[in-house]
Amino acid sequence: MGRYTIRRLLQLIPVLLGTTFLINYMVWQLPGDPFAGRCGQRPCPDSYVSAMRAQFGLDQPILLQYWQFLKNMLSGNLGVDFNQVPVVTQLADAWPITIRLALLAVAIEAVIGISAGVLSGLKRGGFIDNVVTISTLFLLSLPVFVTGFLLQWLLGVQFQIITPTVSDEAPIMELIVPAFVLASLNMAFTARLTRTSIVENRRSDYVRTAIAKGLTNRRVVGVHLLRNSLIPVLTFLGTEVGSLMSGAIITEGIFNIHGIGGLLYRAITGQDYTIVVPIASLLVLVYLVSNLLVDLLYGVLDPRIRYE
Amino acid sequence: MSDPSVTQDLIHGGEGPAASVVSSSNRPRSLWQDTWDILRHRKIFWISFIMLILFLLMAAFPSLFTHKNPDYATLAKSMDPPSGEAWFGYDLQGRDVFARTIYGARTSIIVGVLATLVTVILGGVAGVLAAYYARWVDSILSRIGEIFLGVPYVLGAIIILGTVAPAQSSPDRVTIMAVVIIVLAVLGWPILMRIARSSVIQAKHQDYVQAARALGAGPFRIIFKHLLPNSLAPILVYSTITIGSYIGAEATLSLLGIGLREPVISWGIAIADHTSYIRTGAHAMLFPAAFLSLCVLTFVMLGEAVRDALDPKLR
Amino acid sequence: MVEVLSGPTGRGSYSGALLEVENLQVEFHTRQGVAKAVNGVTYSVNPGETLAVLGESGSGKSVTAQTIMGILDMPPGRVAGGAIRFRGVDILKLPEEQRRRIRGEGISMVFQDALSALNPVFPVGWQIAEMFRIHRGSSRSDAKKKAVELMDRVRIPGARDRVNDFPHQFSGGMRQRIMIAMAIALDPEILIADEPTTALDVTVQAQIMGLLADLQRDSNMGLILITHDLGVVADVADKIAVMYGGRIVETAPVHDLYRNPAHPYTKGLLESIPRVDLKGQELYAIKGMPPNLLEMPSGCAFHPRCPYRREDCATAVPPLYPISGTRGSACHYWREVVDGSR
Repeated sequence: MGRYTIRRLLQLIPVLLGTTFLINYMVWQLPGDPFAGRCGQRPCPDSYVSAMRAQFGLDQPILLQYWQFLKNMLSGNLGVDFNQVPVVTQLADAWPITIRLALLAVAIEAVIGISAGVLSGLKRGGFIDNVVTISTLFLLSLPVFVTGFLLQWLLGVQFQIITPTVSDEAPIMELIVPAFVLASLNMAFTARLTRTSIVENRRSDYVRTAIAKGLTNRRVVGVHLLRNSLIPVLTFLGTEVGSLMSGAIITEGIFNIHGIGGLLYRAITGQDYTIVVPIASLLVLVYLVSNLLVDLLYGVLDPRIRYE
Repeated sequence: MSDPSVTQDLIHGGEGPAASVVSSSNRPRSLWQDTWDILRHRKIFWISFIMLILFLLMAAFPSLFTHKNPDYATLAKSMDPPSGEAWFGYDLQGRDVFARTIYGARTSIIVGVLATLVTVILGGVAGVLAAYYARWVDSILSRIGEIFLGVPYVLGAIIILGTVAPAQSSPDRVTIMAVVIIVLAVLGWPILMRIARSSVIQAKHQDYVQAARALGAGPFRIIFKHLLPNSLAPILVYSTITIGSYIGAEATLSLLGIGLREPVISWGIAIADHTSYIRTGAHAMLFPAAFLSLCVLTFVMLGEAVRDALDPKLR
Repeated sequence: MVEVLSGPTGRGSYSGALLEVENLQVEFHTRQGVAKAVNGVTYSVNPGETLAVLGESGSGKSVTAQTIMGILDMPPGRVAGGAIRFRGVDILKLPEEQRRRIRGEGISMVFQDALSALNPVFPVGWQIAEMFRIHRGSSRSDAKKKAVELMDRVRIPGARDRVNDFPHQFSGGMRQRIMIAMAIALDPEILIADEPTTALDVTVQAQIMGLLADLQRDSNMGLILITHDLGVVADVADKIAVMYGGRIVETAPVHDLYRNPAHPYTKGLLESIPRVDLKGQELYAIKGMPPNLLEMPSGCAFHPRCPYRREDCATAVPPLYPISGTRGSACHYWREVVDGSR
């Protein structure tokens, strides 16, 4: 296990390098002058542009820039944005909000998705199964922003149950509906995955054995069937934590939440690339690490998996 | 249990009367025949099929559905609600929402289909190559795929589009559509590569492929004659569903202001233009959103119907 | 209310056969029609007795066993008629909760493939101990102690150290021993072993059969041994029921059947066993295919493959003709079969 972990960590490095390089390259090398629109209506004075270019290393070749970026990241120095505000400060404000939103979303996914999947898988072709199949189909088809605007319009404008936008501190109660929106797609996936897994395992020999042992139906389903069926579901949920954070861009936009997504979006549209690069890299890192953790978790959940 | 295919399957899997019950009464039939047989009896298949035809007609001949000019604006009617004269009302610039929604189908379907096509070509070629040559070709392609998958989708699209076609720029129709198509495909190909790769690897170890190899068939013959047909079914299913999700993705990007933009007529743009009017005139946004969702639903439903028919075990 | 496991009658005081299957009918509803997997099966088992149920796949032998256990998948399966009496009580009519309590306590079962029959994610000791915890309400530590004892009893070397291992960490034979340990944990009165050795190496097969025989002798269980392998049953079985196409075609004490089969199918099976003393001769094979349960041949199900076939075989279903004592054969011309005139 230890050796496997180390090997996986080593494999992570080229992917991380490749991805961050890609982000750096895309962001800095593609056309468009990031400093062009920074001085109001008039073009910026050359002295300002060249000073900025020098500060952010844009006058250096790409590989050197990338090297500088890596050195900075490794030393924990995320730099400043074009307005000279430290990126770390901005992250510190936004990060907790996004984490809260993402965790809440995972909780919703897990609770609703798994229960719906189990119920529909146990009674295949029954009423609940049909309801779950159809509602997941709709959730999978509705783009997140449609779900978002729809709920905002219905609950916020028509029925006025929630405030349409979230306040700056983003308390948990106000985040519930946005988290539901963020979770909607994965919730549908979770429900379906759980259902498939339950259906497959339900006819398996070990479940038959459990019944033959004279266990109560509750125990057969709740212990034997569920424990096996949830392995792929939990790994799916784990993998998705990473992508939820970046998926939050749209949800945060709709509900005006000041999290990472909103920060990133404003930075991109404002061409403030010094924020884009470290945040995007961080999101990728979170994504890759959560994938690795999930793989290791898989080994814990399923004793048959052996790492060599 | 209402589904007979399941029952058959259970008998097959069971210890009891085993294969002899079913197999000897049926001639061997091809996968596609079986699939069609199941599909024919599925309501969900016919619903999605009819919806697909409707959307395709809408895309090809929008004038069949409306005589109004989608670009004709009467500012005086800005944000007028639905009425007998304009079923879906008027948008911010006083244009007919129904006409614009009908015309929007074309853009969405073109982008969805072409982006999927590019994805299939990129991912399919990479997948077959990786699986067929294995070893270092496989490692390199798989790593590259992981790198692209490592950039979360929305994030990647925002970064690329935000730099190639920043929100402030105004590229012409064809350019911006091409850019969006390419961005969707570039970020989406690794998943298709995985599907193609795994189904080809599966087929590769089958005895008949080994036999073809032993008989001296060249790589092209093996790939086109034996391996590709095998990965066709899963790729077909995945790409049908992908068309749907790309249509949704296109709208999402347009919503963020970095995808399609005027003068292109698109559901995403229509929604984006009216997000701030959700309190006063939701109609200008809700109708395009409904069509968008129905269109995505059509492709997802169709893909799932075919998938379930191909693999009845999971139903 | 009838309490089957305990109560006034108490264990072992019931006078009739321990387990009686009577005219059992089980159907499967499929898209192509109704398959009669079990079509009027009758047999019985007494304490200390071993009944071997012999037949090829699709003959209904496993479906009968699954029906006794109450683990048949319903739907598509359906019990269409007949009775299964355990200690005189028709368990098919019992409420589910009482049937559940009989499983493991009264009747228990060993499956063919222990690797898939054991839950892959729980330690084997835990799975054995579960029997005590659920049925007897034992504490965790007590149950585990008993699990180790049971693993000793089925001769798993180093039981104490292996109690926390997972099924995949054992060899095929050891896994089947664990399966057996689990099945005998609560001292059931009937043990059904469904092809217990089919998935194993020949040498291991003999060990497992020996173990089953020993355990049976020690505890005076009734044993139902389901197999398609004539070689396996010769040494351990007391009586044999041969099944074909959902029916019992021959019943006999084991030695009578081997010495002198009374049904053409049994005879064909015996003749298709390779024998050292007949080396060089062509091996006999029953011609034709097993019957399709959806389109069962008319009359005697075996007639399309039968060398003794006459015209009436295709029209009249043969009953189980009594021959002598417990012997019976479902063949109109069983005398010719016994006489060996073909």
